[in-house]
Amino acid sequence: MDEFQEILQDFLVESFELVEKLDEDLVELENTPEDLELLNGIFRVAHTVKGASSFLNFDVLTHLTHHMEDVLNKARHGDLIITPDIMDVVLESIDLMKALLNTIRDTSADAGIDVADCVIKLDKISGGDGDVPMPTPKVVETPVIEEKVVVEETVAEDEPDYDNMAPDELEAEIEKLLSQRQEEDRIKREAKIEAGEPVLEAPHIEDEAEEDVVAQPPIPTVVPVTVPVAVQKTPVAPKKAKVEEPKGDAKAAAPTKRAPATVEQTIRVDVKRLDHLMNLIGELVLAKNRLIKINDDVEERYEGEEFLEELNQVVSIVSLVTTDLQIAVMKTRMLPIGKVFNKFPRMIRDLTRELNKKIELEISGEDTELDKSIVEEIGDPLVHIIRNSCDHGIEIPSVRLESGKPETGTITLKAYNEGNQIVIQIDDDGKGLDAEMLKDKAMEKGLITEKEADSMSEKEAFLLIMKPGFSTAASVTNVSGRGVGMDVVKTNIDKVNGIIDVESKKDEGTSMKLKIPLTLAIIQALLVGVQEEYYAIPLASVLETVRISRDEIYSVEGRSVMRLRDDVLSLVHIGDIFEVERILDASEHAYVVVLGLGTSKLGLIVDTLVGQEEIVIKSLGDYLKGIEGIAGATIRGDGGVTLIVDVVALMEMAKGVKAMAMIDGSSGDAVSSEKTKSSDYTIMIVDDSKTDRMIMHKALEPLGMTLVEASDGQEALSILKQGEHNFDCMLVDIEMPRMDGYTLATEIKKYNKYKNLPLIAVTSRTGKSDRMRGVESGMVEYITKPYSADYLSSVVQRNVKFKSEFL
Amino acid sequence: MGDKLKQIINQQGAQQSTATLDQSDDIVQLVGFIIGEEEYAVPILAIQEIIKPFAWTRVPQVPAYVLGVFNLRGSVIPLIDLRVKFGLQLKNHNEETRFFVLKQGDEVAGFVIDKLTAAIRIKKENIGPAPDTINGNDTMIDGVGKQEDRIITILKVDKLLERDF
Repeated sequence: MDEFQEILQDFLVESFELVEKLDEDLVELENTPEDLELLNGIFRVAHTVKGASSFLNFDVLTHLTHHMEDVLNKARHGDLIITPDIMDVVLESIDLMKALLNTIRDTSADAGIDVADCVIKLDKISGGDGDVPMPTPKVVETPVIEEKVVVEETVAEDEPDYDNMAPDELEAEIEKLLSQRQEEDRIKREAKIEAGEPVLEAPHIEDEAEEDVVAQPPIPTVVPVTVPVAVQKTPVAPKKAKVEEPKGDAKAAAPTKRAPATVEQTIRVDVKRLDHLMNLIGELVLAKNRLIKINDDVEERYEGEEFLEELNQVVSIVSLVTTDLQIAVMKTRMLPIGKVFNKFPRMIRDLTRELNKKIELEISGEDTELDKSIVEEIGDPLVHIIRNSCDHGIEIPSVRLESGKPETGTITLKAYNEGNQIVIQIDDDGKGLDAEMLKDKAMEKGLITEKEADSMSEKEAFLLIMKPGFSTAASVTNVSGRGVGMDVVKTNIDKVNGIIDVESKKDEGTSMKLKIPLTLAIIQALLVGVQEEYYAIPLASVLETVRISRDEIYSVEGRSVMRLRDDVLSLVHIGDIFEVERILDASEHAYVVVLGLGTSKLGLIVDTLVGQEEIVIKSLGDYLKGIEGIAGATIRGDGGVTLIVDVVALMEMAKGVKAMAMIDGSSGDAVSSEKTKSSDYTIMIVDDSKTDRMIMHKALEPLGMTLVEASDGQEALSILKQGEHNFDCMLVDIEMPRMDGYTLATEIKKYNKYKNLPLIAVTSRTGKSDRMRGVESGMVEYITKPYSADYLSSVVQRNVKFKSEFL
Repeated sequence: MGDKLKQIINQQGAQQSTATLDQSDDIVQLVGFIIGEEEYAVPILAIQEIIKPFAWTRVPQVPAYVLGVFNLRGSVIPLIDLRVKFGLQLKNHNEETRFFVLKQGDEVAGFVIDKLTAAIRIKKENIGPAPDTINGNDTMIDGVGKQEDRIITILKVDKLLERDF
């Protein structure tokens, strides 16, 4: 029964979906009665419902849909024009169908709805005489239709049996059944009276055993019954019937015992809403990142305090729940890849006939789930790949036999999870790819130069088939050869940040792997720093990171390269690609992020590696979209925006970057330009108190230096960033609103440019721990308030290396 | 207490009704701002918000007037410096600098302006067309508003938000 229920549920879900669409289609059909496409669609619905319902023994529904199908089939073949009159009948039949489906959903049976009228009309339309036999509903639950039950059950019990019975037995059986029936009817009538419904006279049933099932039903619309119930045809029928009947009776008497088939608990949700939800989750992830960062800061500052533990707990719970939530929402967007795979068996059948080949398709892993948007994107590429395999890969049977392969070629299509990716693998056992031939073809078509062809590895050559305008088919067939197709594969897979991997052995076959990220919205990224900027690189494209010293970088033909184990890796500085102004680059070492995309590799030189982080991809909007090398942006824990590197584009761009400024990195001298007068020295005074600023100002004024004031850390930082002045020294108060002195110092020291900028704390905090913190955050001197003007002046002079001749 | 509340509500109602009275069709509401030496204005309804400047992230391969992108409560929004766009020198941000966040349809962008002036109500009849020397559809100028003592250039929001590189 459980299995039946399961099938029933599927049937209901499907049918309701179909019927829902049917409504729209029918409305359209009224306007355009000649639309064959539409008619076909409607016919298919009727056909599908008929097939499924007959399988599930819903005779009434089958009966109805069968006649609908007849009419629609005629219309579809042009034997019948859909007039408004016919349309009315069709619409009526569809309404009935809906009603039947509703009944089935509620009661698991298709009884209680009278389809006879409609069926007769349908039959007349399709050319019949309107004399249609009717099946009877088998199980009836609702009191309204009880009269029918009586007829049907009597029929079912008695009709086929008497042939095989001895007269005595027959008599006894009839007696028994009659009393049983009468008892039942009595109960029902009582129930009905109780329910306050009008009671119709129960039908007479005395003679039924002798007659061939012509019960006169109390409801005028029920037509004579000719369809016997199959179970009772065996000799042992009476016994069996007895066994069966109580069950039926039980059902009739207590309909609630059989749970109504609950339609699978799904709701349809507008994808836009899911997208919105996903966006909100994205925000939450960002907020979580931020919270973690704040937690770290607080932890550092208030080490050992009691509330820290509590805070820690809350942060970790929030972080955990956020991650779960993210996964849960991601799952709501997931669809099994089977949705795409399903269409291929049919496609292969058609193609084999068209190409005169014998090909078998093996599918596995169709349950693997993928983000809906990705499922939509990969349909086309797969069609092209499979067509390609059929046309170019698998040989014709005679050739296959000659080369000792089985006559039937096999294409396997499988999907599986691999880490954070889904891999869709398409294998064929055809003739494989010929790297040399591909290169020749590509040169012939002017897609690559001879030089490029020579330096091309086998794997790179295989990827040539993805180039637009490339086709190896000798002649253009219906299936392929037009040179579009495989480039569609590449474009679409690129669009979803996927990677294509082609492997092939001549005469053994080709294996193509599409590696696709699980979702588009949230990815793992490696954050790297260059000067004062940060960039996020999708971790999926990062193979490894290495730390190298400057002398490991060689120059070959004006390009930088390095040795990475046995390979030579070409290098490019991220700053050259993203036009980063490189002010100071003193470090002896550099980090190289090895990027891998399919078979090509590139070393990206960065200044610092920040770490791995989960980032939410946000678009840069219409105004900035399509910037080469940038795939989007993300918002970091500190609220700042970090750009995401488009690795595919970056690798393209790297080819164009010749200059390698890495080697002459030591010429960053603009900062410490020669001082010729005392006003060349610029000092920033950061203090929230105007009086304090004034005191410092007064103390330094005699030196004739340029003095700039800021009232808190943030302001100081933005003044610094604007770069209007080249500061030689900063006097920093510790207690300040918005951003305090320690934070300011830490922030400033993050920039290469300011690594050597002396920061002098001027504060009334005199504790030892305060001093320690000052040193930790990068302050070079610590002046406690109150101080004498002379002392301040001398400290500043010492730190800026003030030349005394200016005094 | 109830009376007082009623009074207040009534007052507000009265204010609102007078406001709507003023809001006849031939009045245009603008927000004025200064870039360089001149005063410009955009329709008040195109302004999503006006905020104090904060940190932004540089974006490579864009014209100089696109400073970069910034985070506005979770959205990444381009930041455009109107000084540079109008051919003036880049100026450091100061106390009076503001980010104008303009929105039209789905297009949102932040614009750096030197100084905010005021909300302006101006009669339609006081708005003249853009000077003849500025031709056709290419101009960013929607019209020129005249008030007693000053002239305000009204900018086209859709042109401001249009990518032109």
